[in-house]
Amino acid sequence: MDSRLVIARRELASLRREKTIVLALAIQLFVAAFSSVLVVGLVSLYAPGAAGGAVAVDVGVTGDAAGDLGPVVEHGDAMHATYYDTESAARTGFQHGDVDAVLVADRLNSGRTYVDATVPDGSFVTTVVVSRLKTALSRYERQRRAELSTRLDRQPLDLPPERGGSTYHGFTYTVLIPALAFLPAFISGSIAADSVAEERERGTWDLLRSAPLSIPAIVDGKALAFVAIAPVQVACWFALLSLNGAPIHNPLTTLGFVTALTGLLVVGGIAAALAVPKHREAQLVYSFGALGAFGAASLLPESPQNVVARLAIGSTTTVTWLTFAGALLIGVVGYAATRVAAGRVANT
Amino acid sequence: MSPRRVLRIARWEAGRNVGTIDRRTAILLACTLLVIALVTPALVLSAPTPGEGVYRVAVDDANPYHAPVAATDRLSAVPPGANAVERGRADVAVVGTSGFVVADSAKGRAALATLRSATEAYNDRLMATEDDVAAAFPVTVDVSYVERGTRVSGSGGGTASDAGDGTGTATDNGGTTADDDTTADSGATTGDGTGTTTAAGSAASAGTAAPRVSGDASAPANTPGGLTPPFPLESLLLAFVFVLPLNVVIQSYGSSVLDERIDRRGEPLLVSPATRADIVAGKTLPYLAAAALVTVPIAYAVGAGVASVLAVFLLAGLFLAVTFLGALFARSYKELTFVTVTVTVVLMAYAFVPAVFTEVHPIAAISPLSVVVRDIRGDPFQLGGFLLATVPVATAALVCYGLGLGVYREEDLFTQKRLPAKALDALAAPLTSVRRVGLLTVALVPFVLIAELFAVAALFVVPPDIAVPLVLALVAIIEEVAKSVHVYAGFRNARFARSTRTALALGLASGVGFFLGEKLLLLTRLVGLSDLTVGGAAFGNAALGAGSLALLAAPLVLHVVTASVSALGARRSARGYAIALAGAILLHLGYNYTVVTTVG
Repeated sequence: MDSRLVIARRELASLRREKTIVLALAIQLFVAAFSSVLVVGLVSLYAPGAAGGAVAVDVGVTGDAAGDLGPVVEHGDAMHATYYDTESAARTGFQHGDVDAVLVADRLNSGRTYVDATVPDGSFVTTVVVSRLKTALSRYERQRRAELSTRLDRQPLDLPPERGGSTYHGFTYTVLIPALAFLPAFISGSIAADSVAEERERGTWDLLRSAPLSIPAIVDGKALAFVAIAPVQVACWFALLSLNGAPIHNPLTTLGFVTALTGLLVVGGIAAALAVPKHREAQLVYSFGALGAFGAASLLPESPQNVVARLAIGSTTTVTWLTFAGALLIGVVGYAATRVAAGRVANT
Repeated sequence: MSPRRVLRIARWEAGRNVGTIDRRTAILLACTLLVIALVTPALVLSAPTPGEGVYRVAVDDANPYHAPVAATDRLSAVPPGANAVERGRADVAVVGTSGFVVADSAKGRAALATLRSATEAYNDRLMATEDDVAAAFPVTVDVSYVERGTRVSGSGGGTASDAGDGTGTATDNGGTTADDDTTADSGATTGDGTGTTTAAGSAASAGTAAPRVSGDASAPANTPGGLTPPFPLESLLLAFVFVLPLNVVIQSYGSSVLDERIDRRGEPLLVSPATRADIVAGKTLPYLAAAALVTVPIAYAVGAGVASVLAVFLLAGLFLAVTFLGALFARSYKELTFVTVTVTVVLMAYAFVPAVFTEVHPIAAISPLSVVVRDIRGDPFQLGGFLLATVPVATAALVCYGLGLGVYREEDLFTQKRLPAKALDALAAPLTSVRRVGLLTVALVPFVLIAELFAVAALFVVPPDIAVPLVLALVAIIEEVAKSVHVYAGFRNARFARSTRTALALGLASGVGFFLGEKLLLLTRLVGLSDLTVGGAAFGNAALGAGSLALLAAPLVLHVVTASVSALGARRSARGYAIALAGAILLHLGYNYTVVTTVG
């Protein structure tokens, strides 16, 4: 056991000496922060209610259904309706920047309302304006449907109430957290392959084998170091996210799941490096193999990404727990198998 | 550089890749590729999303809200029961036909919002089966995107719109009120066209319904539900297809370069008559060819044109160039992996995140992928945007190779040093005279441009009150570092005498060099980036000088003074450099702040 710890410590020391892992962590942080800033920015633009009413949108309303549409527009968050008598007056107002959008609403004989919307092009405001108009016009559509309900065979369902929830809430859990959980796992496997490949290319592998150590013990030592660093990184992310108001529901289980996957990727990397003599090819086999494995795993009833998302957001099902148990089992079995196989391969 | 030698080395390099793979490796590679080939179509068919069932709704099978829940990926139905929400079994519970119990958490509210939009979509699907189309979809919308005001975007198209009537509308005003088209799409009964022709003209162009109003099957085009804000996510995914294979290429490339450095394997090549440039060009050529080889078929498959291929190719050049430098600096494969991941992540972020805003915001133009996105969407080619997207990337790639060539020699190649020390060596290598310092400053300007564009891209959504000071500070830091880091490297590697006079001369050279190189930042004018508050703060300095001579001289004086300050510090020690650099940054910040508040 002691000799394995020595190997693990040696690997960690080399990572620490090179200090690049710090760089890699900093980069992960930077990217996460960058994407979060963008998403927060988008959320505040798309769903003004969620971020306390960001940009106010002024809408010029005209046409014979204007008296109908105006109050609906006015009813929206951070929206204001300005009435114009003629279409040309409204367009002039738009060009002068008095209003951000123009709606020309005409009632047709069929009872339908035709709305000609004009929005500014080529600026960030476009997105805001269009998404607000969509909300207002949808509300207007519901109101008109209710007024014409006698002409319908089936009635639309009433919408659930609005409580200021954001449909972008899920982004953190379904995209950011799975990405942050799998990136360190993948890197761990990759540097495990590097480590063994380098020993072989530099010729130190034979030295290591001449030490009083079995091959499985060497695999243990190397795996220990690389498996350990991934959950530590992920735990840091979870702590950071919790501080930022995105609580992780099953932190220990999620970390356990990540550890199991890391274990699989790390032994996969070591196996690739043992099976293939050259570093470059070993890396290729490992990357493609990991990619294929993730792709295949995505076909499960609950993909690994989905399991992490469900665990983190706290919406687990029986399948989630079965997948989790399966991952642990495959992790242990895969590890044991690779350990034995490594002994065989290295001896041939 | 002799083309014959370059080609021979390139042939060796390519041959080494193919020839040395043994049978076991080949079988393993083939197996993994087979798995990927089998899995990909299945993935495309089933399209799993990571967000499946993250929100749980307690709803009875017989409840009308069960249908919208069942039809939505992110929602999963759980059996109702006493206190489903209180017990944490569900996030929202539907009680009867109109009662909703919502968990008091961000998740509960998000679940309710998701249920709301799911119900909206369900209603649209339900209404699509109605006979009376005018009552089922009582509102139709046409959206025209009109450029307004007197803002002139001096881009390649040059459609300077005057304040009269807006030009450049994305959707036609006429003839897109295609009621009949709508019903035909949703598979309901057609006909019943009584009175559905509108003031906007008959539905003559029914087949070409508004391109921007892309609806899914549930929400017919031209209804509010079918409105989508411009957000070219699909094109972005296509663009992603371009960049992914580059990772494999740079992994192999970095490995190959580092290979040369292990056990002095590259020595025979170094002592051969081939020059360093021959060797590096020869080693790079096969990988550049591989990048081109994967880019062209993908471009053909997704319908992108020559401009896209060129933009991606130049991006690939930068990927390779940075990997080359990384492989020259790394001490081990592990370190190389970190460097490769860093390169990938940063360049992907630079390429992707701004491209999300293609068509929404001029900031998108900084990314080479925006060229691809525009190309796929069939937008007209913009020379200004193309130049801004490609020139910084291409020049930065060239500079990386230049720096790498400087240290591609025996004494640097086979020594182990810490990464920053190696980087300083690379910076110091070309500094053989004071004049060279100025030239190197000019060469670093593309990196300054990329970093500043990145800063602007990161901060443009932040309110201007916070963003402008932050951008000013970042710009000061980036520019001062770019002006002085190689001066420090020169002193450290004893390229120059540590005298005050030398330091002042170096500061002058670096300052003048930066002043001239800074004119590259004028590229941002091409796409109207400087019209942004944030963009103006970052790039305003380069544009000064259109007015009086004093304004022209001010940036020159600033750059010379601050470069001299940091050079004087760099002359002494690392600590002296750090302190002097901080001073120079503050000086620069003060100047920038004054300029922005008085001029802008």
